[in-house]
Amino acid sequence: MTPIQILDATIRGLPAPRIPVFCNLLDQGARELGLTQQAYYAKGEHVAEGQLKMRSRYGYDNVWSLFYVGKEAELLGCNKIQFSESGAPNVADFVIKDYDDIAKLEVPDDITAHPAWEETAKCLTILREEAVGKYPICAYLTASTTLPSLLMGMDKWLELLLTGPNDVRDELVRKCSDFFQKQIAAYRAGGATVLIYSSPFGSPYFVDMKRFHNFSLPWMKRDLEAGGTANVIYYCGMAPFNKVIEDVIQNLAITTHYISPLADLAEAKNIIGSRGLTCGVIDDIKMINWTAEETRAEVKRLCETGKPGGRFLLGTGLMPSEIPEANITALINAAFEYGSYS
Amino acid sequence: MLDDIINHYNEAVFDTDKEAAFEVIDNALAEGYTPEDIIFKVVIPAINEMMAIITKDPDANLAQHFMTAQIASEVTEKMLLQFKSPPEIVGRVVIGTAVGDLHSLGKRIVSGCLKAMMVEIIDLGVNVAAERFVDEAIAHDAQVIAISAMMVHSATGENGCRKVRKLLNEQGLESRIKIAVGGAPFRFDPELYKTVGADAWAADGISAAKTIVDLIHEVNAK
Repeated sequence: MTPIQILDATIRGLPAPRIPVFCNLLDQGARELGLTQQAYYAKGEHVAEGQLKMRSRYGYDNVWSLFYVGKEAELLGCNKIQFSESGAPNVADFVIKDYDDIAKLEVPDDITAHPAWEETAKCLTILREEAVGKYPICAYLTASTTLPSLLMGMDKWLELLLTGPNDVRDELVRKCSDFFQKQIAAYRAGGATVLIYSSPFGSPYFVDMKRFHNFSLPWMKRDLEAGGTANVIYYCGMAPFNKVIEDVIQNLAITTHYISPLADLAEAKNIIGSRGLTCGVIDDIKMINWTAEETRAEVKRLCETGKPGGRFLLGTGLMPSEIPEANITALINAAFEYGSYS
Repeated sequence: MLDDIINHYNEAVFDTDKEAAFEVIDNALAEGYTPEDIIFKVVIPAINEMMAIITKDPDANLAQHFMTAQIASEVTEKMLLQFKSPPEIVGRVVIGTAVGDLHSLGKRIVSGCLKAMMVEIIDLGVNVAAERFVDEAIAHDAQVIAISAMMVHSATGENGCRKVRKLLNEQGLESRIKIAVGGAPFRFDPELYKTVGADAWAADGISAAKTIVDLIHEVNAK
């Protein structure tokens, strides 16, 4: 079976030789091509080539179309990204500096015509040519309730969210939700087959349950109502969210959940059951200092917890560039070994 | 009566209801409580209670942390203007985000709580070079350098906390100035603070305030 067939069978609860194994080696792509981060991320063909080489080298099941998280802010007017040779790029200039800027914020009518989308489109085209029918192509989309943190900074967004004015807050989130709807359609049309719905404000680690129900959930429904939830993975930016899994299944019909390493995986699997796919995620920050044996041991533990009953995927979180290559190899090899159903 | 005030204030803070929290404070002042009472008998106990809740309940959320600090900071600023005499300062901390990191939320939560706990804060902002952390700590006679890092490379990189440690070591300042770190990477690997050369870490902004105050006391005790 090809990786995409393994994923499809796993989602449907059908027999597969092993669990699907997802990995995200984003910044490592630049190193692989011998480019600076800025040069690497400037061209869609570089990102596609880097991701295909990473997948080929380690043998995991997916490829990524994500450049860096701040790319979404660029589509909404951000024109300064701070690159680093040792880690992920940062948004260095917030589009919203004061509340007046919210009224001025414009969501492009057609985001695929925006210059900032051009390289993403190139990347998707190459990935589609190389991976279609073989490997899932992942895209990363930020929920409307979280995107404001990329546009105005997390502390300013929390302040607006928690203290208002609520009409200004809602205007901003509505624009972000409009953007989300356009973006998910663009990614689907571009060939992305797995859509990571990044919604940290859909986690009880970020907001209380009352605010989750009254604020986050209605906006998440709006985000997803036009494009649907097919192949959408619920992800809260590494924050735990077991407490809302049931709500997400019932209200959003998202049945695939990317569980935080800080959460109880067995509990999550028990909640999701046979209704969907449970994704166990390794604590890859610890992988920086772990030995290969320690990495293997953790993969074994995750597989033993999540694999019984099937419908289990093993994934990674941040995969910092400081992780030794030997640990990445150990991770993937152990996932194939302990994730085998034979 | 004071217990009722504390309970009502805490309820408002935990509900992230800033307006209700200020109403409790205004009512307490109208009933004759002094600005000093408000800080030392309401706000600081509320922060301590939040720390206890976070310790017991890992699901205490970021919104509560943020509003605890935000309300505490604003109430403190307002009350300090009305103190009969300037309060005794517990100590000084130089705070900022590590070089290469532009995230300011954690720093803001820690600073809000520290302000209420009568710690003088020298806020260096974001993307702060190691040399500047040390220079400013010396210039202000600070007992603690607090470094926030939300990204793995800014938490573990050679130019962040590791370099601050190196500089303190080279200048013979390690007993006079302690280093505290915080931010997401440290939550995922609780041993990481040792790897990067910090003296202490905290899992969240509220607990970080206590960690920093403890370090100040440690330095002052020498």
